Amino acid sequence: MMSIISLILFPFVFALLIYVLDKKWSAYLAIIGSGLSLFYFLYLLSGFKASMKVENEFQISWIPGINSELHFGLDSLGIIMILLSVIVIPIGILSSFKYKDNRSKSYYMLMLMGLSALIGFFSAQNDITFYVFFELSLIPFYFIILLYGGADRKKAVFKFFIYTVFGSFLMLAAIIYFHSLIGANKTTDWALLYDMEIPLKSQTWILAALLVAFAIKSPLFPFHTWQADLYAEGDRPTIIIIAGVLSKMGVFGLLRFFNVVNDAIALYQIPLIILCIVGIIYGALIAWRQSDLSRLLAYSSLSHMGMIAAGIFTASISGLQGSVFQMLSHGLVAAGLFFVVDTIMSRTNSSNIYASSGIASTQPNLAFYFFVLCLASVGLPLTSGFIGEFDILLGLTNTNIYLGAIAGLSIIFGAIYTFRLYQKSMFGTSNEVSSTWKPLSLTEEYALLILVLLVFVLGFFPSSWLDLADQATAPFVQLKSKM
Amino acid sequence: MLSIVVLTVFATIVLYLGFFKNRNIIVPVALIGIFIALFCLISKQSLWNNWFMNMMSIEGPSRIFSILILSTTACLLPFINVFRARGSEEVADFSGILLFSIIGGLMMVSFSDLMILFLGLEILSIAMYILAGADRKKIKSNEASIKYFLLGAFASAILLFGIATYYASTGTFRLDTQVIHSSALINLSYLLLFSGLAFKVALVPFHFWAPDVYEGTPTVFTATMATVVKISAFGAMFQFIFYCGSNMADWLYWLLSIVALASILVGNIMALTQHSVKRLLAYSGIVQAGFILIGFLQFRLENSWMILYYLIAYTSASLVLFLGSYFVEEQSGTDDQSAFKGLYYNNPFLAIVLSIALISLGGGPLTAGFMAKLFVLNNAAQSGNIVLVIFALILAVLSLVYYFRIINLMFTKTNEERKWQIDFSYRSILSLLSIGTIVAGIIPYLLVNLLK
Repeated sequence: MMSIISLILFPFVFALLIYVLDKKWSAYLAIIGSGLSLFYFLYLLSGFKASMKVENEFQISWIPGINSELHFGLDSLGIIMILLSVIVIPIGILSSFKYKDNRSKSYYMLMLMGLSALIGFFSAQNDITFYVFFELSLIPFYFIILLYGGADRKKAVFKFFIYTVFGSFLMLAAIIYFHSLIGANKTTDWALLYDMEIPLKSQTWILAALLVAFAIKSPLFPFHTWQADLYAEGDRPTIIIIAGVLSKMGVFGLLRFFNVVNDAIALYQIPLIILCIVGIIYGALIAWRQSDLSRLLAYSSLSHMGMIAAGIFTASISGLQGSVFQMLSHGLVAAGLFFVVDTIMSRTNSSNIYASSGIASTQPNLAFYFFVLCLASVGLPLTSGFIGEFDILLGLTNTNIYLGAIAGLSIIFGAIYTFRLYQKSMFGTSNEVSSTWKPLSLTEEYALLILVLLVFVLGFFPSSWLDLADQATAPFVQLKSKM
Repeated sequence: MLSIVVLTVFATIVLYLGFFKNRNIIVPVALIGIFIALFCLISKQSLWNNWFMNMMSIEGPSRIFSILILSTTACLLPFINVFRARGSEEVADFSGILLFSIIGGLMMVSFSDLMILFLGLEILSIAMYILAGADRKKIKSNEASIKYFLLGAFASAILLFGIATYYASTGTFRLDTQVIHSSALINLSYLLLFSGLAFKVALVPFHFWAPDVYEGTPTVFTATMATVVKISAFGAMFQFIFYCGSNMADWLYWLLSIVALASILVGNIMALTQHSVKRLLAYSGIVQAGFILIGFLQFRLENSWMILYYLIAYTSASLVLFLGSYFVEEQSGTDDQSAFKGLYYNNPFLAIVLSIALISLGGGPLTAGFMAKLFVLNNAAQSGNIVLVIFALILAVLSLVYYFRIINLMFTKTNEERKWQIDFSYRSILSLLSIGTIVAGIIPYLLVNLLK
């Protein structure tokens, strides 16, 4: 049976294997398990034709009383995000290889369980499954950071957890609410939900609850306060995953529920976009003045997520398409940037951006990879970052030319803080660290190489991915005609 | 009915076993009694068809309530062995009293006549007053016992007054006779009856005794109080609403929803400030009782399994928490939260089991606690109580703060590492309950079909 459930359980089986086998194998089992799930996913995809149908479905009745099913399946939107997870999580595990001697079995087990939960989340085909896996994917990463990371990690991850759960309980309230609107004994697959006519007043409430939930998870502007602390203190391989994949869960959720609340989004479109743009500029300005590697990237991430959300709220073809593409691209780039930060910090034991200054002259490989990732983050043409940002800005300008212009500023700010980061950390006067610098290990080299190649591939040949993004957002664009 | 007879016989035997030196056979004998009683319940054996002139009947939901009480006690009984060092007569006393107390519980969940309710309540309560003071040499245990007794007697009086007003307005003690008119007097009697039961489950504003009594009572019996007593009282409330719910005035339902929300609010806020884990669990029990009460607001017989599901989820999590924290208390000599620090590094089994229980109580996904909350809240929303649902959910976030504070502590490394183990029998009970919590959360159909 080639259904999606086997892909979801695949990493989980490896987690059980890690539990059974000796500790010295656990890191290798983790990388094999997550790597094989990438190939298994590609194998499942081989028969997939870009269409609006859901394929490889798995569907059993699950929760009695509310008549909910456990329903997974592959659709265009989910495919993009599952691909991102099965790429980024092996990268995260690769980056943990240098710490593998003081990482316990449970660390790798939790990583793989996290992968299972993420695949489940991105392939969920109804709202209850979506909600359960939204929460479930939080728990493994919560425990990982509880066990490993910087000195202040407990406080940071606790804040993250409480924020997220507050959001997800609001989402649960919203889900229960529209369940009560559409009546008890109906299944709530996405396709059916999208056809539901929900009165505007109810939609506004649902949108408010969902927005808080997803804005906390992404994070978007007023709900981002957990982010910088967590990124600075958490276990760095896990932060690669959180910045790469978990932060996309929020905007992914916005897309999933887009058609449920489309009238409300149309009504509040301009205020929502303004809020996003405030976040874009705010994140960029703070990133400009940061001298802490992780915190700088955290605020840059905030800025980029604001851009993606703004693209979604334009509700236009190019905006939505750009957002979906940018989710993939930013996931890879953010993972790559945090990977570089991890390579630097594991050698300097300092998060200051000056700690590794002058390293470019002795470590050209690292400098090159970092440079490509920075270019992609800024959105230079021929890197993956360009297409998404361009599409989003196009959508924004079509919606409102002034808003588009202000959002466009973020490209300039982005260039300033990204190249400031690059300049201070790579160039400058070399200090005593650079003489004792360990060259890139094989795992680091390969992980970075893969990411850089992907950035170029997406930049040079975006069309097939854009088609997929087009398919993913096609159900939403009808809104355009309604408005 | 037969199960009550069996329990009485075995409770008496167990009491007499206290005369003998062999303290190892007492608990097994009591367990045999419980299992025979359980068998009688499940196989629907009955001694007489006409029980006390139809004053009680163990059928349908009350059978499930009774099975729940008996199986909870079966989980609790082995832990009475922790008193073994004090001599066989104490073990015999406590096991015997525990068996007697659940006879009261069985009567409470299956009454259809208010006299039986009162008898059951008193049998259960008086046993619990004694067990609360089981640590005779500790001043706190004595305090708990006296406090529980005084306040409990007061609550019983209120309940009795409710029964009296019921009799005054209907001329009968029976609930199953149809009362056509809905007068002020009969609604007053409902209110008083409900207040008496709300005391036992510690709903706001009848909750003041709970933290003090929970703290002073020996932890094994605190677990009994938090599970067996609450199941029995909710079972009684179930019978009560089953018979009289349609006759209750609207303002009573309003009052119930306010009580439910107030329990969730007050319990959460007070729990946030607690250092003692047992006090914290007392307040968290108040919160959970509030959630269960939400299930009663839209009472329909075909939806009654939701209340039972919630009770089962709550019971299994609470048992693990109380019994688990008993061992922590035993190790460190205090029930302060700081005793949980570094538990994962000293006893990973206990830390994981406790984490599962805490996540379940907090409503984490794929645990029984989540499904239970979903059922109850969804049911409330379907009947139009969406505001109640939203408030309950927002307040439920607060409960995660204190649950996860304990989890955070358990996974914090400490300097002193002392690895220790729990006996196999205790370990197997705790892991059975945890596995049950997760299985019921992943495959809710299994349990729900049983309950239906």
